[in-house]
Amino acid sequence: MKSPFTKGKSGPWKSQLRPGDVIGTGTVGLRTRRARAAFTAIGIAIGIASMVAVMGISSSSRADLLAELDSLGTNLLQVRPGQNTFGDSVKMSADAPGMIRRIAPVEAATSVSEINKTVQRSDKVPSNTKNGITTYGSEANLASTLGAKASSGRVHDKASVKLPTVVLGSVSAERLGITDVETAPRVWIGGKWFAVIGVLEPLPLNPEIDRSALIGLDVARSTFDVKGLPSSIYVRTTPEQVENVRSVLARTASPGAPNEVSVARPSDALAARAEVDKNLQTLLLGLGGVALLVGGVGIANVMVISVIERRAEIGVRRALGATRRHIRNQFVVESTLLSLLGGLLGVAGGFGVTAFYANSQGWLLALPVQGMVFGVVAALLIGALAGLYPAVRAARLDPAEAVRPAA
Amino acid sequence: MISKSKRINGVSPPINDERSTVLELRRVVRQYEGTPPVRAVDNVDLRIATGELVAIVGPSGSGKSTLLNLIGTLDRPTSGRLFVDGVDTSELSDSALAGLRSARIGFVFQQFHLLSGMTAVENVAAGLLYRGISRTERRKRSTEVLKRVGLGHRLSHLPNKLSGGERQRVAIARALVGDPAIVLADEPTGNLDSKTSNEIVELMHRLHADGSTIVVITHDKELAANLPRQISIRDGKLESDSTNRTPPLSVVQGAGR
Ligand SMILES: Nc1ncnc2c1ncn2[C@@H]1O[C@H](COP(=O)(O)OP(=O)(O)OP(=O)(O)O)[C@@H](O)[C@H]1O
Ligand SMILES: [Mg+2]
Repeated sequence: MKSPFTKGKSGPWKSQLRPGDVIGTGTVGLRTRRARAAFTAIGIAIGIASMVAVMGISSSSRADLLAELDSLGTNLLQVRPGQNTFGDSVKMSADAPGMIRRIAPVEAATSVSEINKTVQRSDKVPSNTKNGITTYGSEANLASTLGAKASSGRVHDKASVKLPTVVLGSVSAERLGITDVETAPRVWIGGKWFAVIGVLEPLPLNPEIDRSALIGLDVARSTFDVKGLPSSIYVRTTPEQVENVRSVLARTASPGAPNEVSVARPSDALAARAEVDKNLQTLLLGLGGVALLVGGVGIANVMVISVIERRAEIGVRRALGATRRHIRNQFVVESTLLSLLGGLLGVAGGFGVTAFYANSQGWLLALPVQGMVFGVVAALLIGALAGLYPAVRAARLDPAEAVRPAA
Repeated sequence: MISKSKRINGVSPPINDERSTVLELRRVVRQYEGTPPVRAVDNVDLRIATGELVAIVGPSGSGKSTLLNLIGTLDRPTSGRLFVDGVDTSELSDSALAGLRSARIGFVFQQFHLLSGMTAVENVAAGLLYRGISRTERRKRSTEVLKRVGLGHRLSHLPNKLSGGERQRVAIARALVGDPAIVLADEPTGNLDSKTSNEIVELMHRLHADGSTIVVITHDKELAANLPRQISIRDGKLESDSTNRTPPLSVVQGAGR
């Protein structure tokens, strides 16, 4: 027996649906079942909103971080003595900074030397009380090399590093309760009074300086009778030559044992924060993806129900001359539009969340164009995909069955 | 295969009427599979000419709806042939049949089957939707036809704001708007009271007078008796045809199954 739907000839008559009417038929179900359409779209809206928000927030945060890195510069290197093979800490030689300065692309280099003396507000406190403040003997060009500015008073200059004066890092100043130098405060370092001449602004790349008290290197040597060997050397290079300088720094600072010193770029640590964000972003994107999947399944579900409910409508349309393709397209368009509706709501919502969050963090708002385009495209794809199976079912309905009165 | 797909194979239907044949069934069988299989339409030969108004009568389950669906190409015969405008429909693809329905056939259902959420005009215009006609033109023609069926004052009403009789008139307008070769109505008065039924019957007579070709299934003996031609069906077989101009071929040839 012949299959009832064998392929056959095209006859003298042809059904045709105008492109505008393809959209029109695709909106019938949405217009006549508005509440259901709205509820169905919400799932997709939530999924898209969360993904747009995640992408928007992370791109705003990255933009902010990049702007910060940009202003701090990524051309600062730091050389520190490591440990030798016996686990003893090693020191760099006193002439290491001078040798480093001789590397051509080095713009500036400065060293600090850790002095094992505590810093106190008064001479009555026992000297072994720890407050986490490190005393450094430093050179006059420390502030200019690090780009440090004083929030109160001034930074060291050639004269002040020869006097019993001290400049405090931001955290140290806070711990000692010194916010400004108006009242000419003094601090007690290793049994000597030092006049506080300045407090530094926070240095995001040099948290160890934030927690330090900086006195002159020569003063430290003469007052405390120490060698004052460099415990850290800061090197500012021309931006293009950072990697080249980095590769020769260890050998220059410690020609005898280059593997006993370590060279780092402090801005890398800051950039790593963006990496941490990426992990969080992946997690949130995953959650958004699950929401989208659930939303898509929801649409497919509602469309299947809709096809069952609209059996008679499908039959009537077939009787009026709709081809299977017309029926299939109607339902695919309907589900795509439904999803797009959710997608647009989601994009708006996600943008709102991004704007709100960026504002609360004091960030510049980076318009999440990528996320928004993604949201719309994802919604379109999900809608078309979710609608395909119900649409094919609708198209396969036997028209004679479909117009028959339901039993 | 290809030569077989030529129209009618040169065997022209016997024409004993000056009016042209719109539709012809030859030994049409529609069998539903099952245990036992049901021959809902059994070896039916039938010819309908332009301008006819035909009643199909028969007991419940006799195969009337099945026959009408076959005539309307919503269903395909298990065997036998159906010609519309002389074209053998058994050769046509599914989408070609859809094209045929859009251009040549109008359906009216017992349950009206209007699209809810659409106004009367929009429902009627849906009858032209798959003809590639512009929206404005569809609305214009729909308005005209709605006036013709006496609903000029109900153009923008939604189906749920219309009475049963009005709904069926909208459905009839939808069937007519494409100017089909034939209108097929399956118990169009089945869901209406007798007064409203009479209005619908009257409308059909008027459309017939205006030249429409209409086939209507009915249980109403009186309604059927007032139509120019009655065909009665029993157990899927043609039992009688009030017009002897087109006797069943099987009878003429004395052929069994
Ligand atoms: N899809 C189907 N599968 C199996 N049998 C069917 C199917 N549709 C109809 N039939 C059977 O075919 C026969 C004819 O059905 P049909 O609906 O054509 O009758 P009808 O004359 O229109 O009846 P009524 O007056 O009650 O509408 C019946 O015996 C019915 O049970
Ligand atoms: Mg029936």
